[in-house]
Amino acid sequence: MPHDVTMPQLGMAQDAGKIVSWLKSPGDAVAKGDALFEVETDKATMEVEAQADGFLTGVSASAGEDVPVGAVIARISDSAEDDDPAPAAPATEAGSEPAPDDLPEGHPVTMPQLGMAQDSGVLVSWQKSPGDAVAADDVLFEVETDKSTMEVEAGRDGFLAATLAEAGEDVPVGEAVAIISAEAPDTPVARSRAASSAPPPAAPEPAKGDDTPAAPPKAKPPSPTPPVPSTTGRVLASPKARRLALEQGLDLSRLAEAGYPQPFHVRDIETLKTLPDATPAPQGATASRRLVAETATDGLPGFMAWAAEAHGLTDADAILAGLAAASLADPGPVAVERHGQSRTYAGPAARALSQVAESDAAPALTLRDLRGSPLRTVEMGGEDTPVVTLTGGSAGLTITLECSPSQMDAQTAIRLLTEFAGRVEQPLRHLL
Amino acid sequence: MAKAKAKTNTEEYLRMYRQMVRIRTFEDNANQLYLSAKMPGLTHMYSGEEAVAVGICEALTDDDRITSTHRGHGHCVAKGAEFKEMFCELLGKEEGYCRGKGGSMHIADQSHGNLGANAIVGGSMGIATGSALRAKLQGKDDVTVCFFGDGATAQGLWYEVMNMAALWNLPVIYACENNGYSEYTRTDEIAAGSITARAEAFGIEAHKVDGQDVLAVNELTQKLVARCRKGEGPFFIELETYRYHGHHVGDINREYYRAKDEEKDWRENRDPITRFRAYLVEQGIASEDDIEAMNAEIEKDAAEAVAYAEAAPYPDVSEVDMHVYAD
Amino acid sequence: MREITLSQAVNEALAEEMRRDETVFILGEDVAEAGTPFKVLSGLVEEFGTERVLDTPISEPGFVGLAVGAAMTGARPVVDLMFGDFIYLVMDQLCNQAAKQHYMSGGKLSVPMVLRTNMGATRRSAAQHSQSLQALVAHIPGLKVAMPSSAYEAKGLMKTAIRDNNPVVIFEDKLMYQDKAPVPEEEYLIPFGEANVKREGTDITLIATSSMVQVAEKAAEILSNEGIEAEVIDPRTIVPLDEATLLESVRKTSRAIVIDEGHQSYGVTAEIASRLNEKAFYHLDAPVLRMGAMDVPVPFSPALEDITVPTPEGVVENARKLCAGELIHAA
Repeated sequence: MPHDVTMPQLGMAQDAGKIVSWLKSPGDAVAKGDALFEVETDKATMEVEAQADGFLTGVSASAGEDVPVGAVIARISDSAEDDDPAPAAPATEAGSEPAPDDLPEGHPVTMPQLGMAQDSGVLVSWQKSPGDAVAADDVLFEVETDKSTMEVEAGRDGFLAATLAEAGEDVPVGEAVAIISAEAPDTPVARSRAASSAPPPAAPEPAKGDDTPAAPPKAKPPSPTPPVPSTTGRVLASPKARRLALEQGLDLSRLAEAGYPQPFHVRDIETLKTLPDATPAPQGATASRRLVAETATDGLPGFMAWAAEAHGLTDADAILAGLAAASLADPGPVAVERHGQSRTYAGPAARALSQVAESDAAPALTLRDLRGSPLRTVEMGGEDTPVVTLTGGSAGLTITLECSPSQMDAQTAIRLLTEFAGRVEQPLRHLL
Repeated sequence: MAKAKAKTNTEEYLRMYRQMVRIRTFEDNANQLYLSAKMPGLTHMYSGEEAVAVGICEALTDDDRITSTHRGHGHCVAKGAEFKEMFCELLGKEEGYCRGKGGSMHIADQSHGNLGANAIVGGSMGIATGSALRAKLQGKDDVTVCFFGDGATAQGLWYEVMNMAALWNLPVIYACENNGYSEYTRTDEIAAGSITARAEAFGIEAHKVDGQDVLAVNELTQKLVARCRKGEGPFFIELETYRYHGHHVGDINREYYRAKDEEKDWRENRDPITRFRAYLVEQGIASEDDIEAMNAEIEKDAAEAVAYAEAAPYPDVSEVDMHVYAD
Repeated sequence: MREITLSQAVNEALAEEMRRDETVFILGEDVAEAGTPFKVLSGLVEEFGTERVLDTPISEPGFVGLAVGAAMTGARPVVDLMFGDFIYLVMDQLCNQAAKQHYMSGGKLSVPMVLRTNMGATRRSAAQHSQSLQALVAHIPGLKVAMPSSAYEAKGLMKTAIRDNNPVVIFEDKLMYQDKAPVPEEEYLIPFGEANVKREGTDITLIATSSMVQVAEKAAEILSNEGIEAEVIDPRTIVPLDEATLLESVRKTSRAIVIDEGHQSYGVTAEIASRLNEKAFYHLDAPVLRMGAMDVPVPFSPALEDITVPTPEGVVENARKLCAGELIHAA
């Protein structure tokens, strides 16, 4: 049985070693303990010994090459004529690194730095091919960092003469990923970063047997943007006072407007309740329609779990907004409100929940989720948009729609609530 | 080579030889696993010091306890551990002695009285002495051997526990494996005066023995263990030995502290396995063929254990917060 | 019910457990005939002999190391560490050895030992004999930490600690050794991780450990005269911590002050306050306050020492502010 000869791991922080010289030639007989080759690492130079008797075969790395630790660079076989195919050449070959003049002339486009603590970005995809003509504002490629995904533009007119990284590769910020040339290139270049950059790729994780799955790809989902603070000025209040105000449909800013000193605490809620009604609601926003639907069950939790499991849709609010939007006669952005936080979502008219995303657009409908609160019945009065309120019960849900006649005609309101109640009860209907 | 006793020792001698080869073979495989980047972390090779662990542990029973060090694979094998569970532990696998939570530097094998390796130099001196205190308080006749290196003689803890062990006649044997180097420094650069004299200062009987002579180590240990059981402890043994590898795998350029000629001399002229093998053949206890067959069998065992460990599963991630507290 | 001192309570707990289980033994400096400088162990050596009440040299790392080894091999040692300040001397044995053996061995080894020591300032003992270092050990996974607040707790927690299969550190308040409290004649144990609601209230929760329980109770008394009803809770063990009882109280009162005699920064009060913040945020009507010892070495002069630790008056003042809705520490 042939024995693999590998680049040795000599320290905890060492990724690769350079072969200084081979001390045996292919086909030579070797004995266990014979020095095979000499290796140089950042720490030291050492001779690597044969671990078995046999013949040196399949030498696939030569003097001067940097080889990742653990990479197979030769074999010790039972015969000098071992006809096993030579092991694949190691990935990093300092010797074959192309000279800079191998690349077409032109202007480099580099990996942008998108955050203060960001070292590199993953190239998600190329939007142009080598040789394509590009304009300054054409999107060249898409980049993902831990913060976000963004498109990078060419920045100048010309031709995409070279791409220096492939989709999926992690590229340090500031490193060139493309070259834009003024003239159409004769031989456009497409290259992976691994092949074109001098530093070796990271060593394979230690102790990775065949049974071990490969490390997960580095792609990180963009994190959601932080909740948008209220734009109507900041009111200082304790967390508990805020929660109670929300649950009781009270607006703490009215206390501030009335001149009460901040911060507000629970006791101020009582004062707030006794305040005379605020200035009349905006014209047309007075509620005169209030429709209530009840469902036998709450189908949402199960559906959310299924959507997360089967489709990776983990933003429950986006799903809720999608279900509500689809119930509108004329689908538009939906604001989802919970615990005093509000986020607006918009999506395509088609019923694709995966494409519902956060939006800055003014909402056409507000969905107030009071499941989990003790509230069972709401009568809140008119607001800027029609409001659908979800409240819990022993088994199913109560769904209340409040709006003014000017916001929604009777048929539209009935249709909205009927559709939405059906979807909440059996969300899978949404997909049919 | 120390004088052989009666021929009735044949089995014991073969077992000692076998255990030394098992340690060397284990370390050769561990070294290879590490160099080929299959083993995480860092590891310290025992090769060269086999006669110390085997000579001592062969004088002990499973009821006797040992405490071990960061250079502990040899103690673990000598105290009766199995290759499979050891290699699994080295690779961080579920079936390792410590379910992958200890690794190379913390293997413990309670079933054979190994209280575990300690990665704090000298860290187990209190534990070993405490084990001996427990034996005395509970009227048990087991003995505890505390393995440590010459480097650990610089730790203050040792002097505190030797004082108490001597005051209370505890059944503990302090076994100092003096391999001449305290990490990357020659021992004579870190140790003033005599090491045996330090134990003697507490009134502890101290011995110095050739740690490459398994029979000499074993004979001395047997005597001291018997005396410990009679309440005559504690004892101190300084074992002169040598580590063939660097301080850890990867400590390769070591000529600044140790000459290659010196390493060659120890390997070629003082190797404990080569010496004992020659003795066994000369005494007619085993033939060259017998020994080759034994070596081959051990190599096969090791290769199978390595393959098993490589294929073995890692612990489930749910085990990460298991065993923080005992029930 | 009869009343005994905290000292007597600890002594009784040890005697009862040593009679019940012959693997239990005591070791430490001057524990036998001297019975420790605080005389907590007086009389034990007469009943159990010098082998089970073992005087050691002044070698703290050494005898704690011995206890670890004895515990790993079948004994249940109770180590007496004369002053809590000496914890620094035994950190390796306690935190690298005792705390980690069970985990490092994948559950094969365990270390059923108790380290009893003390805490508490205002005894004019200056910076190296007055510290309250419970946060240091509570930080280390694998150690349990008990903080008795009276003779009753001292006895029940000590008996539980001795029977526990883990290393347990018990901090006794050295000012409290002569304080009497009702302790039943019949045997009882206090389970770890069960807080004690010492006084019920509706307006604010005072969570206090060991020496600070008395401070909190006095503060609650004063506050009650002003119409503020404080609930006083003694966690009794800080590892494990009875989070549920603390959270339930804070959800009811909406306000809390956490009081412990360790230094305030990075301390026990910080940990508990942080958990309340994380798990009861929407029930808080005021910020959770920490009150610990000042972040200074304990000074010798009585004029200075007394102002370094929380007092009932200080607690009252803070509680008033919280209940009045004053904005504390906010810009």
